[in-house]
Amino acid sequence: MSSRRDFMKYASMTGGAVAAGSVSRNLMAALPEAVIQTEVSTMPPLFPDSGPDYNPVVTPNGWTLPFRMRNNVKEFHLIAEPVVREMTSGFNANLWGYNGQSPGPTIEVVEGDRVRIYVTNNLPEHTSVHWHGQRLPNGMDGVTGLNQPAIPVGKTFVYEFVAKRPGTFMYHPHGDEMVQMAMGMMGSWVTHPKGKNNLISDVDRDFCVIMNAYDIVPGAATPKIMTMLDFNLWSWNSRIFPGIDSFNVRQGDKVRMRFGNLTMTNHPIHLHGHEFVVSGTDGGPVQTSARQWEVTTDVAVGQMRQFEFVADELGDWAFHCHKSHHTMNAMGHDVPTMIGVDHSGMAQQIGSVIPDYMVMGERGMADMTEMEMPIPDNTANMMTGDGPFGSVEMGGMFSMLKVRADQPRGDYTDPGWYEHPPGTVAWEYTGELDQPERFKSEVSSSNMAPAPPTESVEIDVRKPRRRLG
Amino acid sequence: MKLTQRRITRPLSIAFLTTTVLSGCATFDVNESIGWTNEEAATFTGGNLELARTAGQRAARTEAATALLAEPLTRDSAVQLALVNSPTIQALIARSWETGASAAQTGRIPNPVFSFERLVSDDSQTKDLERFIAFGLLDVLLLPMKKGVAERGMESARVKLTSDVVAEVTAVRQAWTQAVAAKQLVAFAEQVRTSADASAEMGRRLESVGNFSRLERARQQVFYADATMQLATTRHEAVVAREKLIRALGLDDRQLAMLKLPERLPDLPAQPILPGEATQTLGDRRLDVRMAKASLDRAARAQGITNITSFTDIEVGYRETKATGPEESEELSGYEVEISLPLFDWGNMRRDAMSAQTLAAGNEYAATLRNASSSLRETYSAYRTSFDLSSFYRDEVVPLRTLISEENVMQYNGMLIGVFELLADSRTQTSSIMSAIEASEQFWMADAALQAAMMGRPMDASVGTMAAAGGGEEAGH
Ligand SMILES: [Cu+2]
Repeated sequence: MSSRRDFMKYASMTGGAVAAGSVSRNLMAALPEAVIQTEVSTMPPLFPDSGPDYNPVVTPNGWTLPFRMRNNVKEFHLIAEPVVREMTSGFNANLWGYNGQSPGPTIEVVEGDRVRIYVTNNLPEHTSVHWHGQRLPNGMDGVTGLNQPAIPVGKTFVYEFVAKRPGTFMYHPHGDEMVQMAMGMMGSWVTHPKGKNNLISDVDRDFCVIMNAYDIVPGAATPKIMTMLDFNLWSWNSRIFPGIDSFNVRQGDKVRMRFGNLTMTNHPIHLHGHEFVVSGTDGGPVQTSARQWEVTTDVAVGQMRQFEFVADELGDWAFHCHKSHHTMNAMGHDVPTMIGVDHSGMAQQIGSVIPDYMVMGERGMADMTEMEMPIPDNTANMMTGDGPFGSVEMGGMFSMLKVRADQPRGDYTDPGWYEHPPGTVAWEYTGELDQPERFKSEVSSSNMAPAPPTESVEIDVRKPRRRLG
Repeated sequence: MKLTQRRITRPLSIAFLTTTVLSGCATFDVNESIGWTNEEAATFTGGNLELARTAGQRAARTEAATALLAEPLTRDSAVQLALVNSPTIQALIARSWETGASAAQTGRIPNPVFSFERLVSDDSQTKDLERFIAFGLLDVLLLPMKKGVAERGMESARVKLTSDVVAEVTAVRQAWTQAVAAKQLVAFAEQVRTSADASAEMGRRLESVGNFSRLERARQQVFYADATMQLATTRHEAVVAREKLIRALGLDDRQLAMLKLPERLPDLPAQPILPGEATQTLGDRRLDVRMAKASLDRAARAQGITNITSFTDIEVGYRETKATGPEESEELSGYEVEISLPLFDWGNMRRDAMSAQTLAAGNEYAATLRNASSSLRETYSAYRTSFDLSSFYRDEVVPLRTLISEENVMQYNGMLIGVFELLADSRTQTSSIMSAIEASEQFWMADAALQAAMMGRPMDASVGTMAAAGGGEEAGH
C-alpha cells in the first residue's frame, strides 16, 4: 500500500521536475513544478500529502498530476505540448497532450478545494482549457474568445475556481478544439466528496478512463484531424488493446469505474461476469432509487458515467466497448467479405503477379490472428493480444477485469492469467456429431493447405501455417 | 553536198583527240564508292558494305546472315545483318552506281560523227566518194569543265550512298528498338490481363456465394475486358513492329523463322552523350553539308559551261572527197566548221535557268549549314529529354511503384485493403513499368536519330508524351 512518502519518492523517480520550455526559471519559482510523465504503464494511486484527505483514483496507463498547497490553494501546472504516445507496443502516435502524455494527467481534488491551475502553452498554436462539467466563474470556463483570450504560444495562463461539485469530470481545450481534441488533448478530473456522502460510496478501487478515438493511417503516426466519424483507433486513455492494462482487483473489492467520452460516438461499456449500477452521471450522483443493475452502460458523446460493483467473481473478465468494430485496431472498412469464397487456383494466379500474396479471410477474419505476415510499419494489428488460450482476437477498447483472492489491497500490478479450477473451462466434445453440409466448402479451400476433394464427408479444418516475414 | 575545194595541208590529228578524250574522261568505280562509304561510316555502321554480284558473293552473305541469326539479335548485330542481308541496301548501292556512272558519263565528250558518202552520176561517169569526221569543238574545249561537273556528280552519288546507308542503318536500329520494346510490352500486358482475370474470377466467385452484387462483380469484370482488349492491341503492335524489323533487315521466310529478339531493351548508358560531343559537328564533313556543297559546285560549274554553250555551238569536221570522173580524178580534203547562229535564241533563258539553279543551290547550301546545327540541337534535345525521362522512370517512378506495391501487400496483410485493391494496384504498377519500357524505347529511338544527325543525316526523333506515374489513388473501385 502506497504511503504519502512513497508518493514523494514516486514523483521524483518517475516524473521529475522539468522546466517548461519557454518559461523562465524565475517565473517557474512562482509556479508549482511541472511534472512530466513519459511512462505508459499504470501509475499507482497518488495519495495526497497535504490538504483534505481522499481515497485516490487510478488511471490505467496513466497517472495523477501532483499538486502543491500554497496559501490554502491547490496548485497544479499543466503544460500543453506535443507528445509521442505509445498506443500499444510497436505503435507510436504523434499526439498533443499535457505534461508528456496524452491524455493529460488526472487531476484529483476534493469538494470545496480552491484550485489554481497554471496552463503553459507549448503547442505550435494557441489553446485554452475548458473544465468540462464544473461549476465555476464564467471567465474560468475556458472557451476561447467567449470567456477569455486564447493562451498564446509560449504563454502561461492561470485558472482559479472552487471545485464545488463532487463527481467525475474532464478537461480539454476549447480553442481550435476540433483539432486539439483529435490530436489527443484531454484529461480526467475527479472531485472527491468532502467527508461522507450518502450517495457516494467508499470504494476499494477507483478507476478513471477517458475514451478517445484517432484516425491514423496505418504506417503513419499523426492523426488525421479532419476525420469526423470514420476513426480507426478506439482507445482508452489513448491506449489500444493489447496496450491497455488490465483492471486488477482483489476479490470482494468494491470497485468504481469512471468513464468519460470525448470521441465522436457513443460507447456501450460492457463488463463480463458482474452486474453494476451506474452511480453517477454528468450531473452528479444518481439517486439510489434510480439505480438499476446492468452489465452494459452507454456513455454518450461528451458524457461521463461512473458505475460500481463488488468484484466477487474470480477470474479474468472481459471488459470492453460493445461496438464490435471498436474492439478492433486499424482495419479496412472497404474490404470485401471473402467468407466461403472458393480460392482454388486463384492463389497461384494472383501470386504470379503479386509474389507475396496470401489468401486471407475466406473462412473469416480470425485468420488474421494466426498469420504473422508483415504489415505496414508502426501499425497495430487489427486484432491481436494473446490470452492463455490463444489470441483474444480483439484490439481497441478492450481490457480485462482481473479478480483475484490474493491481490494485495492497494496493489494494482497484473497478477497474470487466472488459474481455473479443474473442470471449469469449456472443453472439447469428442463424441459423435453430424456435420452440417454447408460447412464443407467453407473449410477446405485455403491456398495454404489446399485440401484435395475427398470422398469422405468428414470435416477437414486446416489452419494456415504460421509464417513470419 | 558541201565540197571544200581547198586542200588542207595538215589534217587534225584524230589520234591526238582520241587520246585526250580517253585519258581525261571521268570514270565511276562502284567498289571505290563503297569503300568510301565504309570508311566514312565505319564507326557508325560498325561493319562493311559490299555489292554482291556473283553467286559466290551472295552465298557468303547468306552464310554471314545465318551466323548472325543464330544468336538473339542485338542492336548491333541487327545492323550487321542488314548490311549483309538487306536487298534494300544492295539496291541503294546499285542505284548509287547508276547515278555515279551517269554522272561520269556527262564528263565524256560525245563520240565524233563519221560519215561516208558515195555518189554516182546518172551516167555512172562520175563518182564521188566522201568521208567526213566531225565533232563538237566546244565539247572538247570544255572537257576539263565538264569533267569537273561530272566529278561533283560522282561525289554527290558517293555522299548520297553514305547518307542513305546511314538512314537505312538508323531505320534498322529504330525498327529493332520498336520490335524489342513491343515484345516486352506484350509480356507486361499479359501480366495486366492475368491480374484483371484474377479480379474478374474473384468477383464471379464472390457473387456466386452471395458476397458481391452483380454490380460489384461487373465492375471487376470490366477491368478484364479492358485488359483483354489492351493485350490484343499490344500483341498486334508487336507483330507490326516485328514485321517492320523483318523488312528493314530484308529477311526471307527461312531467315525470319530463325529470328530471335532479346527479352529486353539494353540498359540506358551510364552517361548520356554530352551536348558538346553531339554538337561538335563534323562541320563540312557532315553528309548534308557535303551534298549541298556538291550540288552548289556542280551548278556553278555547269553554269560556266552553259554560259558558253548557250551562245553557240561549234562543230568541227574533217572531210575527204574523192571525185572520179571519166576525164579525171580529183581528191579534195579539208576541214569544216559549223556554227549555229544565235538569231532566234540567244540562250538567255538557259543562262537564266542555270544561274537560278546556282543561286538556289547556293542558298540551299547556306540553309543546310544553318539548319544543320539547329536540327542537331533539336535532335539532341529529344535524345537528352528521353534519356532523362527514361532514367527518371528507372530511378524514381518504378522504385516508387514497387514500394507502393510492397506497402499495399502489407496493407492487404493487415486487412486494411482488400484483394481487389491489391490487384488494381498490381495493374497500375505493371502499367507504370510499361511506361518505363516506352520511355526506354523512346530513348533508343532518339539515340539512333542522334547518331544519324551527328553524321549529317537528320532522322525523326520526337519525344512522346509520357504516361503519368500514377497518383496515390487506388484504382480498385
Ligand atoms: Cu465504442
